[in-house]
Amino acid sequence: MEHVINTQNLSFEYHAEEQTRHLVLKDINLQFEKGQFIGIIGHNGSGKSTLAKHFNALLLPTEGKVYVKGMDTKDTNHLWDIRQAAGLVFQNPDNQIVAAIVEEDVAFGPENLGIPPDEIRERVEYALKAVGMWEYKDYPPHMLSGGQKQRVAIAGIIAMKPECIILDEPTAMLDPIGRREVISTIKKLNKEDGITVILITHFMEEVVDADRVIVMDDGKVVLDGTPKEVFKEVTLLKKIGLSVPQVTELAHQLKREGFDVPLDILTVEEMVEFLCR
Amino acid sequence: MPIKVENLSFVYNEGTPYATVALNNVTFEIQDEEFVGIIGHTGSGKSTLIQHLNGLLKPTSGKIYINGVDITDKKVSLKDVRKEVGLVFQYPEYQLFEETIFKDIAFGPTNLGLSEEEIEKRVYEAMDIVGISRELADKSPFEVSGGQKRRIAIAGILAMKPKILILDEPTAGLDPKGKEEILNKIKEIHDKYKMITILVSHSMEDIARFADKIIVMNKGRIEVIGTPREVFREAEKLEKIGLGVPQITSLARELQKKGVAIPEDILTIEEAKEYIVRYLRGTKNV
Ligand SMILES: Nc1ncnc2c1ncn2[C@@H]1O[C@H](COP(=O)(O)OP(=O)(O)O)[C@@H](O)[C@H]1O
Ligand SMILES: Nc1ncnc2c1ncn2[C@@H]1O[C@H](COP(=O)(O)OP(=O)(O)O)[C@@H](O)[C@H]1O
Ligand SMILES: [Mg+2]
Ligand SMILES: [Mg+2]
Repeated sequence: MEHVINTQNLSFEYHAEEQTRHLVLKDINLQFEKGQFIGIIGHNGSGKSTLAKHFNALLLPTEGKVYVKGMDTKDTNHLWDIRQAAGLVFQNPDNQIVAAIVEEDVAFGPENLGIPPDEIRERVEYALKAVGMWEYKDYPPHMLSGGQKQRVAIAGIIAMKPECIILDEPTAMLDPIGRREVISTIKKLNKEDGITVILITHFMEEVVDADRVIVMDDGKVVLDGTPKEVFKEVTLLKKIGLSVPQVTELAHQLKREGFDVPLDILTVEEMVEFLCR
Repeated sequence: MPIKVENLSFVYNEGTPYATVALNNVTFEIQDEEFVGIIGHTGSGKSTLIQHLNGLLKPTSGKIYINGVDITDKKVSLKDVRKEVGLVFQYPEYQLFEETIFKDIAFGPTNLGLSEEEIEKRVYEAMDIVGISRELADKSPFEVSGGQKRRIAIAGILAMKPKILILDEPTAGLDPKGKEEILNKIKEIHDKYKMITILVSHSMEDIARFADKIIVMNKGRIEVIGTPREVFREAEKLEKIGLGVPQITSLARELQKKGVAIPEDILTIEEAKEYIVRYLRGTKNV
């Protein structure tokens, strides 16, 4: 089966021409399936953004290969197909919005693809409705809140009809309400529109119901599994500077006290159920 | 240096079509040595409020007393106020501008007109306090990591030896490790120097652990004020304005509803564990 994204022994360094080797990505092998919701976590400098930029050919491997829908990212003939198939949303919404009106901003990508005007209009409407921003189509972006701007940036990607959307800490600069808006928007795009989502984040609670969670440390994948498989590694996660949900930490402490608690509890509901069954 | 704010209101662009009421009749007090958390979502008025406390903004109406002195009085020198009240802005790393870390930290004390020896002493002390190695003094502030830049900005304020330290969202955009480091550092500085510390944040988990008092802002008003326990008892109110309580506090509330003997105002995992262990031992013995 063809994977949306497939990395084969991917290694990368920023200054490959220099004598001293400083690998920022070390032998990464990941295959992402269509329609999945994948979370990537890791502390600052672990290589998450560098990896994300390989997923749409913004960076090319120093060693190894990256394939997007089977297309080799080093094959320049496929550059635009790759960028169309895998869209990247960044941390700071202010750096991503280019036009003076929301609608024009969303149309920017499809216009560059040379899509006919009628279809562009359809796509813009679809994309803005998908992120719940259609009423704001005539607004200047600077009038919007951070969460709203981020949703417009996501609409700009959706309008390209991508297979896959990669979000690099899209909520890091937002307050709790903005975060909730953005996260529920991308969950909906994943569930209802079947778009593959790769979400890079520091916020563990944003990935507790992902299909798969990948943990990066020092350029390597150190954990890869379901949220339950990953978060039960409390000791390792803490050692590499990541936090786990408070109830997961509690489960581990109760275990140490000699109680037979499942170590993969992630939510309040699960803990209540265990304690009061 | 206690702080007393009385009926403070502030309107941006007053008298124009763009007028925005950012603070609406805010009243509270802060005592010496208190660690205060101010929480609220974007636009609730947090930054506007703290900018009043060092005289950067003048109230549209209301009074602000610092150590009994009304700083809204025209006769009060704002330079004196700013000497005592140090404010670290949000994303302060964007305000670093000098060519070396030393010069950046020295900027404030230099403006205070201190002697060169005193300035040097204070800069190095401040670097020690925030944990920036003295060897980095001659490096450019732009060559170090984001977390370090933020520490440099904090050191610049500490070098003025303020009696009141205010930090506007000092953990915004940092990862969990960077966040922990900065928060622990702020706590450590507070415990050692006992200055009033005011920490603005939109994360309850950050604030719950350290604050003696929490002020919850919503739409320019104080929605709830009190100790963390008092504030978290208002969980429904908090959730309604989109803030929520720490996960461990919601667990305690849910357990209490199910009849488990646990207070609903639990703040830490350790506390929760104590009650849950008691509960589990109790039910097992039945
Ligand atoms: N443009 C760049 N040039 C040189 N080094 C870089 C560049 N961008 C990132 N790095 C380095 O690569 C490593 C991984 O960074 P990054 O991928 O941004 O991690 P993360 O997104 O997990 O914080 C870090 O050591 C960082 O300093
Ligand atoms: N310089 C300004 N000019 C006009 N309105 C402003 C300005 N700064 C803030 N506001 C408005 O004042 C209100 C409170 O903002 P602020 O104090 O920055 O809140 P917070 O720090 O809680 O996010 C918001 O409605 C905001 O849009
Ligand atoms: Mg990054
Ligand atoms: Mg603010």
